[in-house]
Amino acid sequence: MIKRLSGAIAVLAALSAIGGLAAIFSGGPAAQDARAAAVKSEPAPAEPKTGTVWTAPDQEAAKKRAQEVVPFVDAVMEECQLCRQMRLREAGLGIKDITNSYFLLDSSIIKKSEDLYGPVRFKHTKHAAELKDCALCHHRRPLDAKARETTRCSACHQEPFRVNQPERIGLKAAYHQQCTGCHQEMKKGPTDCLGCHRKNVPDHKELVNLPEKPEPIQVTRECLRCHKAVGDDMLKTAHWLWKGPSPYTLNRSKHVNHGKATTSINNF
Amino acid sequence: MELNRRVFLKCIGAAGAGVAGAATDSTAVHAWESRAPADPLGCLVDLNRCIGCRKCEQACQTVNKLPQPEQPFDDLTVLDKKRRPDERAYTVVNRYYPGRRDERDQLVPTFVKVQCMHCQDPACASACIVGALTKKENGAVYYDISKCIGCRYCMVACPFEIPAYEYHNPVTPRVMKCTFCYERVENEGKLPGCVGICPVEAMTFGRRSNLLKIAKKRIESDPGSYVNHVYGEHEAGGTSWLYISGVPFDRVGFIQVPHRPLTELAETIQSSLFSYLWSPIVLFGMLGGIMRAFGGKSDRDINHKGEES
Repeated sequence: MIKRLSGAIAVLAALSAIGGLAAIFSGGPAAQDARAAAVKSEPAPAEPKTGTVWTAPDQEAAKKRAQEVVPFVDAVMEECQLCRQMRLREAGLGIKDITNSYFLLDSSIIKKSEDLYGPVRFKHTKHAAELKDCALCHHRRPLDAKARETTRCSACHQEPFRVNQPERIGLKAAYHQQCTGCHQEMKKGPTDCLGCHRKNVPDHKELVNLPEKPEPIQVTRECLRCHKAVGDDMLKTAHWLWKGPSPYTLNRSKHVNHGKATTSINNF
Repeated sequence: MELNRRVFLKCIGAAGAGVAGAATDSTAVHAWESRAPADPLGCLVDLNRCIGCRKCEQACQTVNKLPQPEQPFDDLTVLDKKRRPDERAYTVVNRYYPGRRDERDQLVPTFVKVQCMHCQDPACASACIVGALTKKENGAVYYDISKCIGCRYCMVACPFEIPAYEYHNPVTPRVMKCTFCYERVENEGKLPGCVGICPVEAMTFGRRSNLLKIAKKRIESDPGSYVNHVYGEHEAGGTSWLYISGVPFDRVGFIQVPHRPLTELAETIQSSLFSYLWSPIVLFGMLGGIMRAFGGKSDRDINHKGEES
């Protein structure tokens, strides 16, 4: 889904770029106006420079939003889940009121303690459309009557173990308890770490220790120094053994002895 | 013969009276007193929250610079082995199936993190003859390698069977147990490694008195999900680490320990035995009496023999 979306965005971007280029190459004052308009309408963070990688404007905006730390909401209104559901429904709050459809959960509050995993890409509107109940996640509102009905998670959940609000869990725990708990309950959505996060791969420049012009075997050995299991797995694959199951061949899926080493002479 | 027995019994009687008198006297003077810090830091582990991700083990390994484990931390199959903290890992997480079932009739696992409980009156510190183990004011039971002589009394004394020993290291072996990240908490003002990394806040870090309040409030507000017992409130006289659980603790590998401090009995006996040095005095008095009684007899025997011959 994500791939398809990003693919679509890329295609759109390419089209608009071609349009812009065409306008520029056609020359004349009209084209210059178009160029100026294009520059003006561009959001500030995603301003394209020549030679830089294209970035998605919504992704950049989400990155920026993730870094904002909002003032802490000290007091929240105590009410039961059902009361809140009813109240939100009566107020007519729903998917149409969503201002940000996409969030990057990358708060500096969490990053302070550790940084093992990449940020989670949270599709707000998709979750809202699927659940049709804002109160499932927006389970409390600020006590201040002037405040908005729903706030972001990090307004109430920030640092863990606050002395004054002992049961107010931190932002990281709030995310994990809310997301994992709901995913488990609904039997939908990932519940393991790598289902939502990408692992932060450490910088291999520091880790890899190779001479100036390494031999191929030295490179392999250096990789295997840490990734031994990958090497062991490789020795069991058809690429190494030249024989193995052929799951994509009709009626051959269970034949283990199929491959260059046995039955076939040349697959190419 | 008659006389000898009388002398011997006299000695015994005198010694017994001395013991009784001194014992009552010393217990009145030196009643055992807890040396626990008033309100140390602690940790409340909520077993209903733990998801068994082993991130705490990983953080512990990184923070305390422990060796890499045999199986990587993302391998969750080891959870079913009933592991114990050892010289390579200060904390481990085990998975139990205590018999609870969900609405789909699937067994619900309970994950239990095991580490040093950091007792209020630690038996290990009491047993340590060189003071290498001490209870710090912030709650940590701290191990000082420079004092340790490797007697391993702490390992025998610990009711939770926590301290481990580096038997593989014959030159500079250490006793290995959870440090409660003492330096990290005290000097750097950070959270302990395991607490900081926990994704679901299964561990709550704070003052012990506050944690007890939180624990009781959690049990009270959801009595269906918790058993009414805070493990560590009274166990071994109270510990800095506390646990609350949805299943009885004996079903998820918790050791049942007495509620009074384990140091109380041992230290009372020790202090009453050595107060005013009465016990050595009585002991040597008795030995002297016996020697005199038997020595007299042998002298007489020789004299008798001399007279006869």
